[in-house]
Amino acid sequence: MEGSADRTDGVYSIGAVARMLGVPAQTLRAWEDRYHQIVPARSSGGQRLYSRDQVDQLTFIRNQIDQGLQPADAHRLLAQHQMEVASSREEQHSSAGPSVNAATTVLLAERDPYAAEFAEHFLRTEGYVVRIVLDSGAAAEILRDEPPSVLVVDLLISGGAGLTLCRAARDNGSVPVLAVSAVDFRDPALAAGADAFLLKPLDPLQFVSTVRDLVGTSAYLRTRSLSR
Amino acid sequence: MIERLSSGSDRLDTILGGGLPRNGIILIGGNPGSGKTILAQQYVFQNATSDRPAMYLTTVSEPLEKVLRYGQSLDFFEPSALGRSVIYEDLGRTLNEGGLASALECITELLKRNRPGLVVIDSFRALQTYAADLETFRGFLHELAGRLSAMPITSFWIGEYNTTDTSNAPEFAVADAILSLGTEREGERDRRVLSVIKLRGSKSLSGKHAYRLSSAGLHAYPRMADLVNLERYDRTQERMSSGVPALDAMLSDGYYRGASTLLAGPSGVGKTLLALHFIFAGAERGDTGLIATFQENPTQLERILNGFSWSLDDPGVELMYRAPVDLYLDEWVYDLLDTVHRTGATRVAIDSLGDLRASSGDELRFREYVYSLLQRCARANISVVMTQEVPDLFAVSRLSEYGISHLSDNLILLQFLRGNSQLKRALTVLKARGSAHDPFTRQYEITSDGVILGDHFDRTENLT
Repeated sequence: MEGSADRTDGVYSIGAVARMLGVPAQTLRAWEDRYHQIVPARSSGGQRLYSRDQVDQLTFIRNQIDQGLQPADAHRLLAQHQMEVASSREEQHSSAGPSVNAATTVLLAERDPYAAEFAEHFLRTEGYVVRIVLDSGAAAEILRDEPPSVLVVDLLISGGAGLTLCRAARDNGSVPVLAVSAVDFRDPALAAGADAFLLKPLDPLQFVSTVRDLVGTSAYLRTRSLSR
Repeated sequence: MIERLSSGSDRLDTILGGGLPRNGIILIGGNPGSGKTILAQQYVFQNATSDRPAMYLTTVSEPLEKVLRYGQSLDFFEPSALGRSVIYEDLGRTLNEGGLASALECITELLKRNRPGLVVIDSFRALQTYAADLETFRGFLHELAGRLSAMPITSFWIGEYNTTDTSNAPEFAVADAILSLGTEREGERDRRVLSVIKLRGSKSLSGKHAYRLSSAGLHAYPRMADLVNLERYDRTQERMSSGVPALDAMLSDGYYRGASTLLAGPSGVGKTLLALHFIFAGAERGDTGLIATFQENPTQLERILNGFSWSLDDPGVELMYRAPVDLYLDEWVYDLLDTVHRTGATRVAIDSLGDLRASSGDELRFREYVYSLLQRCARANISVVMTQEVPDLFAVSRLSEYGISHLSDNLILLQFLRGNSQLKRALTVLKARGSAHDPFTRQYEITSDGVILGDHFDRTENLT
């Protein structure tokens, strides 16, 4: 029950989804207006927040369009195939696990050593290399000198310096950011350039799959930009 | 907004302002046999899923084998869940060999391995004996609470805590919610009571709430102390027949729908009969009626009814009989509300208030319950008649010791009068809220057609 609720939580910014799919944000907005089929939740500040289910649905649409279908037909097909999408989802995700590159590093900028210990454990079991820092200054240095594959940042680190880290990562370019916090800071996080937001305490499965999606983003971007 | 964890029982959740704070630390204290373990297991089986299992960790006072052996007898205990969504582990040996540090390590490993959504530690109180001093124990608490708060886990710490512990034991400061299970002496018996000592993030119902334990778990009966609800509600102008045409006329066409009526009088004067008139008159018109009685068991009642060509087989009449001994007020009121809800009854007769009063050791509690019950019925447009025995056989001088008379909308006095050396029955409408009524005392007789009202008493007659 709980697991399925996590799949429908609004987590990803439109920018993150656009990068994951390689579909421009304005196209995503146009589909939403036209077909009313995949409508993301809105944060209190009005920003779009896509759920994992919606990312899966959009991936399906994009794949159909890549194969030559019109967007309208792809949406119609999605409605018909909802059941199949749901059942194939499990395979997709279980197969995504082993494909994690051993060099995929997660920089964990945490405030709470206990939370960091658990987060590290769950990421390591998924094969990630994890670096923990409990101070935003150290995090900023690593971000600059040895950019990780993904940055997980507790917005309340070092007395609330997390947003500054989000901006630094955005300015740095390629590092996707997962912002986490015990306080609902969705809007400021997204405004500062975070790609996704999760409320603490983190559910292990949801946390790991969100990181996996964001890492997939950069991997996908890399292969896509190489192929062009 | 704080998410809530349901116990699976609406009434218990109501006491807790909607449920326990999810991902919080919940402390349950109480004496041996008060149902702490049952309550914790209720939450375990209600909330465990294979994605987020529940872990039940026993320490040293309660052997795991015993928890499981008795756990099986609970209706909600699901053996197929064991090892999948419900995981029982024993920390006793770890504690004995390595103390609190080992236990902490062990718990951390279990959290990583099982990723539980709910953790029970039973008994938590026993852990303190493993700390050399209070400072060490505080350190352990801090470490444990830090770990439990870093993941989405609701944890239950269970122990034989008493009221003095509440202010002294450090775990009480860490807990987000504290429930206390205890007993209260009431006459010759003990009454189980649950109270909420602390609940972060929401309001709980104050006071002591009765509960019972059964194989279905812990049943709570929220203390009924409805606040005066000033919100206006639709009071219909519709009148309902009392079942006695002449009495309807005295009340200017019967009682209002949703009104409460107190029938007061000495033993044998005909209170029950007048209440039955109201119920059966309703059944005739298609209003379902509920007779809630302590006085006559079904056989006795049927015999009385047959004398007036009524029957309990009437589909429009429901009987709720409870023996007046070993009766619990809270349980009874909730049973009544459930029965009203189930049957859709719009007329209710309670016979008698005196029996109900005897079921509660505390008069204030009795008044709170009756007040709340009448409020709820009035808002639901359910009409209630209640009988009330008065101590004086003749010359009634006092009506009710419980202050119920001013809570009811209508008040009808039934009494014996001696006129011309003959025993007579007489009825007076003392109060009819919101309507004009005939102020005279009228004679009545009981025949096979029921109560038949006669003339006004003659002023010149010598009555006492």
